[in-house]
Amino acid sequence: MIERVGNLARSVFRRPLNLEKLAFGIQRLSGVGILLYLMMHVFVTGTVTGGREVWEGMMRLLADPMADVGKLMLFIGATFHGVNGMRVLLLELTPLAGRPVRPDYPYRVQSLGTGQRLILYLAMIMAGLSAIAGIFILWGV
Amino acid sequence: MGGLNLGESTLQLVNYLMIALILVALPLHFATHAFLGVTSQEESLTYDSVIGRYRASATVILLAALLTGASYHGLYGLRKILLEVSSGHRWDRVVTMGIVAAGILMLGWGLSTIIVAVTGT
Repeated sequence: MIERVGNLARSVFRRPLNLEKLAFGIQRLSGVGILLYLMMHVFVTGTVTGGREVWEGMMRLLADPMADVGKLMLFIGATFHGVNGMRVLLLELTPLAGRPVRPDYPYRVQSLGTGQRLILYLAMIMAGLSAIAGIFILWGV
Repeated sequence: MGGLNLGESTLQLVNYLMIALILVALPLHFATHAFLGVTSQEESLTYDSVIGRYRASATVILLAALLTGASYHGLYGLRKILLEVSSGHRWDRVVTMGIVAAGILMLGWGLSTIIVAVTGT
Protein backbone atom coordinates (compact mmCIF):
# COMPACT_ATOMS: atom_id res chain seq x y z
CA MET A 1 0.00 0.00 0.00
CA ILE A 2 2.72 2.48 1.06
CA GLU A 3 4.80 1.38 -1.95
CA ARG A 4 1.84 2.03 -4.26
CA VAL A 5 1.31 5.51 -2.78
CA GLY A 6 5.06 6.12 -3.26
CA ASN A 7 4.86 4.99 -6.90
CA LEU A 8 1.90 7.28 -7.47
CA ALA A 9 3.81 10.22 -5.95
CA ARG A 10 7.00 9.39 -7.91
CA SER A 11 5.05 9.22 -11.19
CA VAL A 12 4.61 13.01 -10.96
CA PHE A 13 8.39 13.53 -11.14
CA ARG A 14 9.16 10.67 -13.56
CA ARG A 15 10.66 11.72 -16.90
CA PRO A 16 9.51 13.19 -19.21
CA LEU A 17 8.66 16.00 -16.79
CA ASN A 18 5.90 18.36 -17.82
CA LEU A 19 3.98 21.18 -16.24
CA GLU A 20 0.62 19.41 -16.48
CA LYS A 21 1.89 16.40 -14.51
CA LEU A 22 3.32 18.67 -11.82
CA ALA A 23 0.01 20.57 -11.62
CA PHE A 24 -1.80 17.22 -11.28
CA GLY A 25 0.43 16.28 -8.31
CA ILE A 26 0.06 19.66 -6.58
CA GLN A 27 -3.71 19.64 -7.18
CA ARG A 28 -4.04 16.30 -5.38
CA LEU A 29 -1.63 17.18 -2.58
CA SER A 30 -3.39 20.51 -1.94
CA GLY A 31 -6.79 18.77 -2.14
CA VAL A 32 -5.87 16.24 0.56
CA GLY A 33 -4.41 19.08 2.67
CA ILE A 34 -7.62 21.14 2.34
CA LEU A 35 -9.73 18.09 3.22
CA LEU A 36 -7.66 17.51 6.38
CA TYR A 37 -8.11 21.19 7.25
CA LEU A 38 -11.88 20.91 6.64
CA MET A 39 -12.13 17.93 9.00
CA MET A 40 -10.20 19.87 11.65
CA HIS A 41 -12.29 23.00 10.99
CA VAL A 42 -15.56 21.10 11.48
CA PHE A 43 -14.22 19.72 14.77
CA VAL A 44 -12.90 23.12 15.97
CA THR A 45 -16.14 24.98 15.18
CA GLY A 46 -18.00 22.20 17.02
CA THR A 47 -16.40 23.35 20.27
CA VAL A 48 -18.66 26.43 20.20
CA THR A 49 -21.43 24.19 21.55
CA GLY A 50 -19.33 23.65 24.70
CA GLY A 51 -19.87 27.27 25.73
CA ARG A 52 -17.86 30.49 25.89
CA GLU A 53 -14.94 29.13 27.94
CA VAL A 54 -14.37 26.08 25.73
CA TRP A 55 -14.51 28.25 22.58
CA GLU A 56 -12.12 30.87 23.95
CA GLY A 57 -9.74 28.10 25.11
CA MET A 58 -9.72 26.68 21.57
CA MET A 59 -9.06 30.15 20.09
CA ARG A 60 -6.08 30.59 22.48
CA LEU A 61 -4.77 27.19 21.35
CA LEU A 62 -5.04 28.25 17.71
CA ALA A 63 -3.16 31.50 18.36
CA ASP A 64 0.03 29.37 18.26
CA PRO A 65 2.58 30.58 15.62
CA MET A 66 2.68 27.07 14.11
CA ALA A 67 -1.05 27.38 13.41
CA ASP A 68 -0.26 30.54 11.41
CA VAL A 69 2.23 28.56 9.28
CA GLY A 70 -0.56 26.04 8.66
CA LYS A 71 -2.94 28.86 7.67
CA LEU A 72 -0.34 30.22 5.21
CA MET A 73 0.04 26.78 3.62
CA LEU A 74 -3.75 26.63 3.41
CA PHE A 75 -3.96 30.05 1.64
CA ILE A 76 -1.39 28.96 -0.95
CA GLY A 77 -2.82 25.47 -1.45
CA ALA A 78 -6.44 26.62 -1.65
CA THR A 79 -5.64 29.39 -4.15
CA PHE A 80 -3.74 27.02 -6.45
CA HIS A 81 -6.38 24.31 -6.03
CA GLY A 82 -9.20 26.74 -6.91
CA VAL A 83 -7.61 28.32 -10.00
CA ASN A 84 -6.10 25.08 -11.32
CA GLY A 85 -9.44 23.36 -10.60
CA MET A 86 -11.14 25.87 -12.92
CA ARG A 87 -8.58 24.94 -15.61
CA VAL A 88 -9.39 21.24 -15.17
CA LEU A 89 -13.12 22.03 -15.31
CA LEU A 90 -12.63 23.95 -18.57
CA LEU A 91 -10.56 21.04 -19.90
CA GLU A 92 -13.37 18.61 -19.10
CA LEU A 93 -16.37 20.69 -20.11
CA THR A 94 -15.22 22.97 -22.96
CA PRO A 95 -13.27 22.59 -26.22
CA LEU A 96 -10.23 24.24 -24.57
CA ALA A 97 -8.33 20.92 -24.78
CA GLY A 98 -5.99 20.61 -27.78
CA ARG A 99 -7.04 18.63 -30.85
CA PRO A 100 -5.62 15.10 -31.14
CA VAL A 101 -2.84 14.73 -33.75
CA ARG A 102 -0.59 11.92 -34.98
CA PRO A 103 2.23 11.51 -32.41
CA ASP A 104 5.17 12.54 -34.63
CA TYR A 105 8.56 13.35 -33.06
CA PRO A 106 9.13 15.73 -31.25
CA TYR A 107 6.00 14.86 -29.24
CA ARG A 108 3.99 17.78 -27.89
CA VAL A 109 1.36 17.52 -25.15
CA GLN A 110 -1.86 18.37 -27.01
CA SER A 111 -4.01 18.83 -23.90
CA LEU A 112 -1.90 21.74 -22.63
CA GLY A 113 -2.77 24.37 -25.24
CA THR A 114 -2.15 28.11 -24.94
CA GLY A 115 -5.37 28.78 -22.98
CA GLN A 116 -4.70 25.94 -20.56
CA ARG A 117 -1.07 26.98 -20.13
CA LEU A 118 -2.12 30.58 -19.37
CA ILE A 119 -4.58 29.45 -16.68
CA LEU A 120 -1.89 27.22 -15.17
CA TYR A 121 0.54 30.16 -15.04
CA LEU A 122 -2.28 32.24 -13.52
CA ALA A 123 -2.77 29.55 -10.84
CA MET A 124 0.94 29.74 -9.97
CA ILE A 125 0.95 33.56 -9.89
CA MET A 126 -2.22 33.66 -7.77
CA ALA A 127 -0.74 31.10 -5.34
CA GLY A 128 2.41 33.25 -5.09
CA LEU A 129 0.35 36.40 -4.48
CA SER A 130 -1.73 34.66 -1.82
CA ALA A 131 1.52 33.62 -0.12
CA ILE A 132 2.61 37.30 -0.03
CA ALA A 133 -0.87 38.43 1.12
CA GLY A 134 -0.92 35.68 3.76
CA ILE A 135 2.44 36.79 5.17
CA PHE A 136 1.16 40.40 5.36
CA ILE A 137 -2.14 39.38 7.00
CA LEU A 138 -0.70 36.87 9.49
CA TRP A 139 2.52 38.60 10.52
CA GLY A 140 1.99 42.19 9.34
CA VAL A 141 5.43 42.18 7.66
CA MET B 1 -21.76 4.84 -5.01
CA GLY B 2 -21.20 1.14 -4.21
CA GLY B 3 -24.35 -0.28 -2.69
CA LEU B 4 -26.30 2.87 -3.54
CA ASN B 5 -26.02 1.94 -7.26
CA LEU B 6 -25.11 5.45 -8.36
CA GLY B 7 -23.09 5.53 -11.58
CA GLU B 8 -19.70 7.27 -11.72
CA SER B 9 -21.07 9.84 -14.18
CA THR B 10 -23.87 10.73 -11.73
CA LEU B 11 -21.32 11.15 -8.91
CA GLN B 12 -19.19 13.37 -11.18
CA LEU B 13 -22.24 15.43 -12.14
CA VAL B 14 -23.08 15.92 -8.44
CA ASN B 15 -19.42 16.89 -7.94
CA TYR B 16 -19.77 19.67 -10.56
CA LEU B 17 -22.89 20.93 -8.76
CA MET B 18 -21.03 20.89 -5.44
CA ILE B 19 -18.14 22.85 -7.00
CA ALA B 20 -20.65 25.48 -8.17
CA LEU B 21 -22.12 25.56 -4.65
CA ILE B 22 -18.65 26.04 -3.12
CA LEU B 23 -17.88 28.84 -5.61
CA VAL B 24 -20.93 30.75 -4.32
CA ALA B 25 -20.83 29.82 -0.62
CA LEU B 26 -17.09 30.07 0.09
CA PRO B 27 -16.66 33.78 -0.85
CA LEU B 28 -19.79 34.57 1.22
CA HIS B 29 -18.34 32.60 4.15
CA PHE B 30 -15.10 34.61 3.88
CA ALA B 31 -17.15 37.83 3.68
CA THR B 32 -18.93 36.98 6.97
CA HIS B 33 -15.45 36.79 8.54
CA ALA B 34 -14.15 40.00 7.00
CA PHE B 35 -16.80 42.70 6.45
CA LEU B 36 -20.33 41.25 6.25
CA GLY B 37 -21.86 41.95 9.67
CA VAL B 38 -18.45 42.32 11.36
CA THR B 39 -15.69 44.92 11.35
CA SER B 40 -12.70 42.55 11.47
CA GLN B 41 -11.69 38.90 11.42
CA GLU B 42 -10.83 39.08 15.15
CA GLU B 43 -14.37 40.23 15.90
CA SER B 44 -15.84 37.48 13.73
CA LEU B 45 -14.13 34.85 15.89
CA THR B 46 -15.54 36.05 19.23
CA TYR B 47 -18.03 33.68 20.88
CA ASP B 48 -20.99 36.09 20.56
CA SER B 49 -20.30 36.71 16.86
CA VAL B 50 -20.01 32.97 16.09
CA ILE B 51 -23.23 32.14 17.98
CA GLY B 52 -24.93 35.13 16.29
CA ARG B 53 -24.10 33.70 12.86
CA TYR B 54 -25.47 30.29 13.82
CA ARG B 55 -28.72 31.90 14.95
CA ALA B 56 -29.24 33.97 11.76
CA SER B 57 -31.16 31.88 9.21
CA ALA B 58 -29.24 33.19 6.14
CA THR B 59 -25.79 32.38 7.54
CA VAL B 60 -26.86 29.03 8.98
CA ILE B 61 -28.18 27.95 5.54
CA LEU B 62 -24.90 29.17 4.03
CA LEU B 63 -22.85 27.16 6.55
CA ALA B 64 -24.91 24.00 6.02
CA ALA B 65 -24.62 24.35 2.22
CA LEU B 66 -20.86 24.94 2.42
CA LEU B 67 -20.40 21.98 4.77
CA THR B 68 -22.32 19.70 2.39
CA GLY B 69 -20.59 20.97 -0.77
CA ALA B 70 -17.05 20.95 0.63
CA SER B 71 -17.45 17.56 2.33
CA TYR B 72 -18.78 15.95 -0.86
CA HIS B 73 -16.15 17.51 -3.12
CA GLY B 74 -13.27 16.68 -0.74
CA LEU B 75 -14.31 13.12 0.00
CA TYR B 76 -15.18 12.40 -3.64
CA GLY B 77 -11.70 13.61 -4.62
CA LEU B 78 -10.08 11.47 -1.91
CA ARG B 79 -12.07 8.45 -3.16
CA LYS B 80 -10.76 9.00 -6.69
CA ILE B 81 -7.16 9.15 -5.39
CA LEU B 82 -7.60 6.01 -3.29
CA LEU B 83 -9.20 4.08 -6.17
CA GLU B 84 -6.06 4.82 -8.23
CA VAL B 85 -3.75 3.49 -5.50
CA SER B 86 -5.07 -0.06 -5.89
CA SER B 87 -7.80 -1.92 -7.76
CA GLY B 88 -10.26 -4.74 -7.35
CA HIS B 89 -13.88 -5.11 -6.33
CA ARG B 90 -13.05 -5.52 -2.62
CA TRP B 91 -10.79 -2.43 -2.56
CA ASP B 92 -13.45 -0.35 -4.35
CA ARG B 93 -16.03 -1.43 -1.80
CA VAL B 94 -13.79 -0.77 1.23
CA VAL B 95 -12.83 2.69 -0.08
CA THR B 96 -16.41 3.64 -0.97
CA MET B 97 -17.76 2.49 2.37
CA GLY B 98 -14.94 4.28 4.23
CA ILE B 99 -15.65 7.50 2.32
CA VAL B 100 -19.40 7.24 2.99
CA ALA B 101 -18.66 6.68 6.70
CA ALA B 102 -16.32 9.71 6.77
CA GLY B 103 -19.00 11.78 5.02
CA ILE B 104 -21.68 10.76 7.52
CA LEU B 105 -19.28 11.57 10.39
CA MET B 106 -18.36 15.02 8.98
CA LEU B 107 -21.93 15.98 8.10
CA GLY B 108 -23.24 14.56 11.37
CA TRP B 109 -20.68 16.47 13.44
CA GLY B 110 -21.14 19.70 11.49
CA LEU B 111 -24.92 19.60 11.37
CA SER B 112 -25.18 18.65 15.07
CA THR B 113 -23.04 21.73 15.85
CA ILE B 114 -25.49 23.84 13.85
CA ILE B 115 -28.55 22.31 15.55
CA VAL B 116 -27.11 22.66 19.07
CA ALA B 117 -25.95 26.25 18.40
CA VAL B 118 -29.28 27.23 16.84
CA THR B 119 -31.48 25.71 19.55
CA GLY B 120 -29.09 26.53 22.38
CA THR B 121 -29.46 23.04 23.88
